[in-house]
Amino acid sequence: MGSRKLQTHIAPSGYKLPSIHAFPPFFCFQPAAKTRVSQDDQWVQLILSYARFRRLFTLTVDDAEKTGSDWEEVLINERINRRLTKQQVRTLLQMLVARGQATYEPPRQDDSVLLYWRKPGEWAEVLHSWAVSTGQLNTIMTFYEIQAPSLPSELSDIPTPLLKRAIDILTKTNRAQIIESGEGDGVRFFAGS
Amino acid sequence: MAASIAALFGFNSKLPKITKRDKAILDMKHQRDNLRQYQKRIQWILDQETQLAKEALRKGEKEKARRALRRKKYQESLLQQTDGQLEQLEQLVANIEFSLIEVSVMHGLKQGNEVLAQIHKEMSIESVEQLMSETREAIEYQREIDEMLSSKMTADEEDEVLKELEAIQQELAPTVALPDVPTTVPVKVGTPVKEPTPLADEEDRVAVPA
Repeated sequence: MGSRKLQTHIAPSGYKLPSIHAFPPFFCFQPAAKTRVSQDDQWVQLILSYARFRRLFTLTVDDAEKTGSDWEEVLINERINRRLTKQQVRTLLQMLVARGQATYEPPRQDDSVLLYWRKPGEWAEVLHSWAVSTGQLNTIMTFYEIQAPSLPSELSDIPTPLLKRAIDILTKTNRAQIIESGEGDGVRFFAGS
Repeated sequence: MAASIAALFGFNSKLPKITKRDKAILDMKHQRDNLRQYQKRIQWILDQETQLAKEALRKGEKEKARRALRRKKYQESLLQQTDGQLEQLEQLVANIEFSLIEVSVMHGLKQGNEVLAQIHKEMSIESVEQLMSETREAIEYQREIDEMLSSKMTADEEDEVLKELEAIQQELAPTVALPDVPTTVPVKVGTPVKEPTPLADEEDRVAVPA
């Protein structure tokens, strides 16, 4: 015991896993309160940073104990034969939501969250500066245009609930306007003050 | 206060109203997106059929492979049709948006024209002439005041004014920089002298013992 050196590890996706990910007790929630808090911090940090790296927007209980999921590299460490259980992932989700780093999506369940590796306020700014820099002000746009542009952008694949939240924030400062229609909603951006 | 209450309730006079035209444009863009999504789906089906045909051939099921390829061909023809439709729709959307820009440019030109006309109205020839004659009158008036002031002065006063002017001029004139008095005896040109001899009084000072 203790002779094995903890090292960072480059996952197949190219993500550099922190050395703690190779520490077996990391995969088991610690009973001592102080240790547990620091462990929670590390997990939250790891999840958000991995999500940002791979542009993952959701984490679900189902991602645990499953090979081939987007989260396999983080939730499973085969080199030390450790993995998080579904129950542990559910606890992680609770923690993320309690810290405001995620929100249950859809609401009123606790199986799946929308991750905020950028807070909705930050997404609002990204969205607005994208609209300005691509000359999309004062034009009516569909959500699909923003989510699936022909050339990938910073907003590619952004989930609709998150996009709506960001637009809502912009409407409060007169920088966007939602246009409702039978076919689906659209948005119009303005320069704002 | 009123503004913040209005903002609370979502009223906003600053934002443009959403018109029926806006909704029509949005609907058209949605149609365009639907077509794009449809194309994505067909592309996926095409890839699948190709995969299927390959697998069937590997297993030696030639008939199955042929059927898959036939289906693929059909889907390809659909894809081509949607290509044409998509192009039409995109052109229509682009034309409408361009027309909207033209309308706003026209509006801008119209406003500019109105402003220009108004400025011209303010600058009518009569008012310009009046202004010019008023200016001329003002100059004339100033000259009269000058004349009156100078004619009321006596010859003495006039002299004093000139004197004061001279004094100020002298004050302002730059002082002439004069060269310093030389400390050496001038040397006759042509006589070779090693060093200029110091002045006599200086020599005396050195000679007297203490």
